[in-house]
Amino acid sequence: MIEPRRFLRWTWATVASVAAVFVLTLASGAAVSYHRAGEARLRLSWSARPERIESCRAVSREQLEREEEHMRQRVECEGRFATYALRVEADGRRVIESVVRGAGLRHDRPVYLLRDFAIPSGVRHVRVVFARRERKGDEAALATPAPGAESDTGLFAGRAEREAVERARRRRAAIPATLVLDTVMTFAPGRVIVITFDAERRALEVLDQPRQPR
Amino acid sequence: MRILERGARRVLTALDATATRLYGWAWNPVHQTGTVAMAMLAVLIVTGLYLVMFYRVGSPAASVARLAADPWLGSWVRSLHRYASDLFVVAAAVHAFRMFAQSRSWGPRAVAWLSGLVAFAAGVACAWTGFVMAWDTFGERLAREGSRLLDVLPIFSEPLSRIFAGDGPVPSAFFFVNLFVHIALPLGMAVALWLHVSRVARPVLLPPKRLLWGIIGTLTAASVVLPAPLGEPANAFALGRTTPTDLIVAWWLPLSERLTAGEVWGAMIVIALVAVSVPRVMRRPREGRLAPSVVDPRLCTGCNQCPQDCPWEAITMVPREDDRPTLLAQVDPERCVSCGLCAGSCAPMGVGPPGRSGRDQLAAARSALDVGRVDGLPIVAICCEQVPRGHAAELRGRGVFVHSVSCVGNLHSSVIELFVRQGATGVIVFGCPPRDCVSREGPKWLHERVFNDREAELQPRVDRRRVRIATAAPGDQAGTVAALGSFARELAALERPDRAGSATFELACDAVASAEPAS
Repeated sequence: MIEPRRFLRWTWATVASVAAVFVLTLASGAAVSYHRAGEARLRLSWSARPERIESCRAVSREQLEREEEHMRQRVECEGRFATYALRVEADGRRVIESVVRGAGLRHDRPVYLLRDFAIPSGVRHVRVVFARRERKGDEAALATPAPGAESDTGLFAGRAEREAVERARRRRAAIPATLVLDTVMTFAPGRVIVITFDAERRALEVLDQPRQPR
Repeated sequence: MRILERGARRVLTALDATATRLYGWAWNPVHQTGTVAMAMLAVLIVTGLYLVMFYRVGSPAASVARLAADPWLGSWVRSLHRYASDLFVVAAAVHAFRMFAQSRSWGPRAVAWLSGLVAFAAGVACAWTGFVMAWDTFGERLAREGSRLLDVLPIFSEPLSRIFAGDGPVPSAFFFVNLFVHIALPLGMAVALWLHVSRVARPVLLPPKRLLWGIIGTLTAASVVLPAPLGEPANAFALGRTTPTDLIVAWWLPLSERLTAGEVWGAMIVIALVAVSVPRVMRRPREGRLAPSVVDPRLCTGCNQCPQDCPWEAITMVPREDDRPTLLAQVDPERCVSCGLCAGSCAPMGVGPPGRSGRDQLAAARSALDVGRVDGLPIVAICCEQVPRGHAAELRGRGVFVHSVSCVGNLHSSVIELFVRQGATGVIVFGCPPRDCVSREGPKWLHERVFNDREAELQPRVDRRRVRIATAAPGDQAGTVAALGSFARELAALERPDRAGSATFELACDAVASAEPAS
């Protein structure tokens, strides 16, 4: 026979234990609302190389001959990477306006853009402009690389062409001078619309669901 | 900080008292928070080994959903893993609070405090990575917030946050690295926990069996009845009306999302600095009550008992510099916490903190006898300083002569003998609950010395029927009174003791032939 006082204590201990575990389970999975009802989001996300603003000059034959053969680069360029002005408007109202630079201390890394904006749900006219801020540099020399037939022989044959191809590839990989997206979007409550840069089409692209593998 | 400490102590005492009323001091979980945290770590390792067998880094959400849908084993093992991690965090936080409130965070205990902080931080971070593994809406939110905070540090060439933006699939490499961190962090915790207990002798790592299995059983039952929620699979294109958030490990998340990364880092740095600076801010001069133990080389017989009893491994035996053939005890003041347990272990009374050696205790007891006129009193209660004042007042109210000592483990058995031989009907020693002793092993060593002949043992000439060891726990005054009542009833059946006059004591260990005269 359990004495009443002991029974009462056991009962209280059991109740307290059950209550403590119940609180633990509640706190372990509390339903928290992080967004206002009816809110949607517009997300801008892309990474791409900024354009390089360069002043180039053709190196004379005498200067080239002073270099070791493998160091002979016919066009020398100096410059910096472009910066871009980002402006986002929804229904004509400015959402954000900022300057975007390449990553890294010298801003010579790709531009990594990730911005999230709360947008009231509904049909919205969205306009995104991502435009280079600097004027193009003097690249006249790029068009007329100095021929250096005698050093384009042997191991280094065709180097002038390769340099031209490489410069063209870099130009193509860079963000176009101006990217504009002007469209009407339907923002469903609790949904996110992502605007990204399609490197193949070299244009901004709207995603409202995961991109299908190509 | 001192005000904070006093406030924390009051809160802790109230919490202790409530838990003792509910569970009794023997299974009071608040006394056991450190060992409960360790037990939960063991549960996490066992359940985690099972779960990792079914986890797929290529399809994290689907593999966890499959586990959650398995009603036989997967669902409750996953829930038990989750609830154990929650309880680990709660228990470790209460343990740290307890150490702070009891002023056990500085001096020789600073290493334990700092390593405990590291283990705690690693445990919480490990829990975060565990939630990310499930890759539901909560895991995604944690990952997104974590990467936002990491992106302001110059670590990654490309910001981590873009992984979760939705313009591409989240790479499997991310989940692989996350899984690696989730497994590697407990290994780091093991090192921190080794440091945590490296300065204590005989560390206790698990709670008493009944409490251990009670907690595991209760959590298992909760896992079966209330399985841990799993949110919708992460979707970068959906906000989700609500997110099932674990507020125990990620209470900061709703707040953090409203702040800039710099503000969050600032808050974290401030919290970390405050936590790390506790040992420095709380430290006190090592003098008076906090002075480390000292050895009297003339009295030390080299019996090797005090190094065995010291709970902090602060005493070593070294060769003597004089011509005596024995070793000499040497106290490392950097490790000594002034608990005074060595004083109770030394038969010749040659070691102990200043003012609390066996000889000092005898002098204090004799002085108390002169003042209190113990002759003729029925019972003497020797109370540890931690015994609540209310209990001591209740004992006095019942005609008991109350004598206070710093810790019952500090109490030299000769003091008990002195009271018995001075004519006390009986001596009852009230100490803390054994798992709540600030000196760690006070009640254990006292019991051994009184009833099991551990050095410095209570002499055989003392009638053991007249000596009782009991526990006085906050919140259990009725237990204290009941222990006294039971002892008094047993004493009533014995004949009245004779006063033996001034007592002389054997002041040498049994193991050592030489004996020193009492001063």
